[in-house]
Amino acid sequence: MSTLDYLFQGFGTALIWYNILFAFVGVLIGTAVGVLPGIGPMSGVALLIPVTASITGGLPPEHAATSAIILLAGVYYGAMYGGSTTSILLNTPGESSSVVTTLDGYQMAKKGRAGSALSIAAIGSFVAGIITLVALIALAKPLSAVALKFGPAEYFSLMLLGLGAVSGLAGKSVTKALIMTVLGLLLGTIGIDNVSGIARFTFDVPWLYQGIEFLTIAVGLFAVGEVFKTILEKEEEDNEIARINNLLPSKAELKESAGPIARGSLLGFFVGILPGAGATLASFFSYILEKKISKTPSKFGTGTIAGVAAPESANNAASGGAMIPLLTLGIPGSGTTAILMGALMMYNVQPGPLLFEDHPQVAWGLIASMFIGNIMLLILNLPLVKVFAKIIQTPKQFLIPMIIAISIFGVYAVQVSTYDLLLLLGCGLFGYFLNKNDYPIAPLVLGLVLGPMVENNLRRALTISNGDFSVFFTRPISLLFLIITFLWLIIPFLMKKRGKDVIINIEG
Amino acid sequence: MALKFDYIASVLFLAVGVLFIIGSKHLESSSYGSAVGPDIFPLILGSGLVLLSIRLLYETFITKNQQGRKEKLQYKPFLIIFAATLVYILTLETIGYVITTFLFLFVCFQTMERSKMILSLIISACFSGLVYFLYVEVLKGTLPDWPIWF
Repeated sequence: MSTLDYLFQGFGTALIWYNILFAFVGVLIGTAVGVLPGIGPMSGVALLIPVTASITGGLPPEHAATSAIILLAGVYYGAMYGGSTTSILLNTPGESSSVVTTLDGYQMAKKGRAGSALSIAAIGSFVAGIITLVALIALAKPLSAVALKFGPAEYFSLMLLGLGAVSGLAGKSVTKALIMTVLGLLLGTIGIDNVSGIARFTFDVPWLYQGIEFLTIAVGLFAVGEVFKTILEKEEEDNEIARINNLLPSKAELKESAGPIARGSLLGFFVGILPGAGATLASFFSYILEKKISKTPSKFGTGTIAGVAAPESANNAASGGAMIPLLTLGIPGSGTTAILMGALMMYNVQPGPLLFEDHPQVAWGLIASMFIGNIMLLILNLPLVKVFAKIIQTPKQFLIPMIIAISIFGVYAVQVSTYDLLLLLGCGLFGYFLNKNDYPIAPLVLGLVLGPMVENNLRRALTISNGDFSVFFTRPISLLFLIITFLWLIIPFLMKKRGKDVIINIEG
Repeated sequence: MALKFDYIASVLFLAVGVLFIIGSKHLESSSYGSAVGPDIFPLILGSGLVLLSIRLLYETFITKNQQGRKEKLQYKPFLIIFAATLVYILTLETIGYVITTFLFLFVCFQTMERSKMILSLIISACFSGLVYFLYVEVLKGTLPDWPIWF
């Protein structure tokens, strides 16, 4: 069957009434998550996994996986739309990938052009979403065909590259990021070893036999940790929300932002594919690029429309681009995609080259639903932006305790164990301290999700070579991946030594 | 603050690394028909963690003590909410979902801000009741229901 046939089938799946509903709920919650400062896409997706798991419980397994991933991915790219709203109206980015948008967006709002800034941001995100999807469809098959030829040695090195890239870009200190990665991988070894069947590091505690649940760790570190931070560092903010006058941009503004949107989408897409570099970096790069090629660079920062259009397109394109390594190679390049991967694995669907053959319904259903979701977001965001801007006024008094209650409900519904709840609370505390002291959390979750796969490939490769480690260096593709990993980790380090600033990825 | 934390953290990570190395030494070194067993991966990782913690300790050592800006932390509400969460978790299975969730939410709402007593009561009751109804009655899930004496 050709790609187009698969795509049509995907639309068939995505257009089932409940899947449309799931996509709608996903993008709606995603927009809310993007608008609310404090809850990023990572905690949003992590919080919703158990909720979706319980809602989809009645469907057959493959349908359940498709519907769940449609909703969760909707939260992910919906957050990219929502983030711009508060950046423009309040000068407070709703999540880290919209930080750059505040530079010009808030200035525009001050001048009474909030409406056009918001609509350009929504249009830019939509165009970027569609461009990325077309590229995703074009690249999915060839990439997974290449990945199918990889042996365990290549896979091991590729995963090492993914982990290394995320650690290299994840925080202020590469050492701390690497410690987090290794810790995540180590936590993944707890439980019954699925090759030999030996219990490892369980100390005869039955609860540990099934291993440490990724969901508990992710919800604890991200959502609960973030909540604790908000409680401890209470800030009184009463910024005034800028007024929205005319919602539609003028023809001149549309013309002016066409170029930045196109460039931002392409740049964002390619940055998104790279492991480790996510939406935050993409938006920074595209802003810098626009400023460089602009005829009037001095205008940037004073409220030029290009300064809103480019980064907003780029961050949305990057979130789509990040789906490519996840779906075709089975290697998540960021914290949020790692959580999406964990969600897929909960449904026994293994992302990777075989996904398109074994579960075409899941893969193509998701891709088709992203088309529908992007259209919904455009419709939702243009007229309803005033409603969303109101969400930010949700009193923290009610929001914060409810997030804790949802986390506890979610983990208990999936795990049915008090130990997991205690672990959740512990992780929340741990996550707060780690975050406060610049230990990035995303690499830990990535390590935990990838751990068993890294180990299996390592052991398969070593079993084939009879325990000889040189197999990783003698196979050319594997060697290439290892060299890139090494360079990725060493180059930022050398640049820092020379006193250069290295842009880091805060979002992860 | 950050540096002191880094000292403690690097020593702790070092200990974790050493414990994993010792732990993996106690595992069987080979599985049937394979030269590599379940011990090799944790062994490599444990050693990696030990090396990285030593590097972190060294980095902390050479960094000059920078006085970060002091933030005022809200310890009191945090401790109350933390304790409330702990009690909530521990009593969830004996007293049941609806009652514990209602009490937990109400206590936390009031800890966050001493106002809107009635609204807090309504929201906590709606949240706990609605979640229980939707999950247990509509979706047929399992949550600890009511205490035995109820």
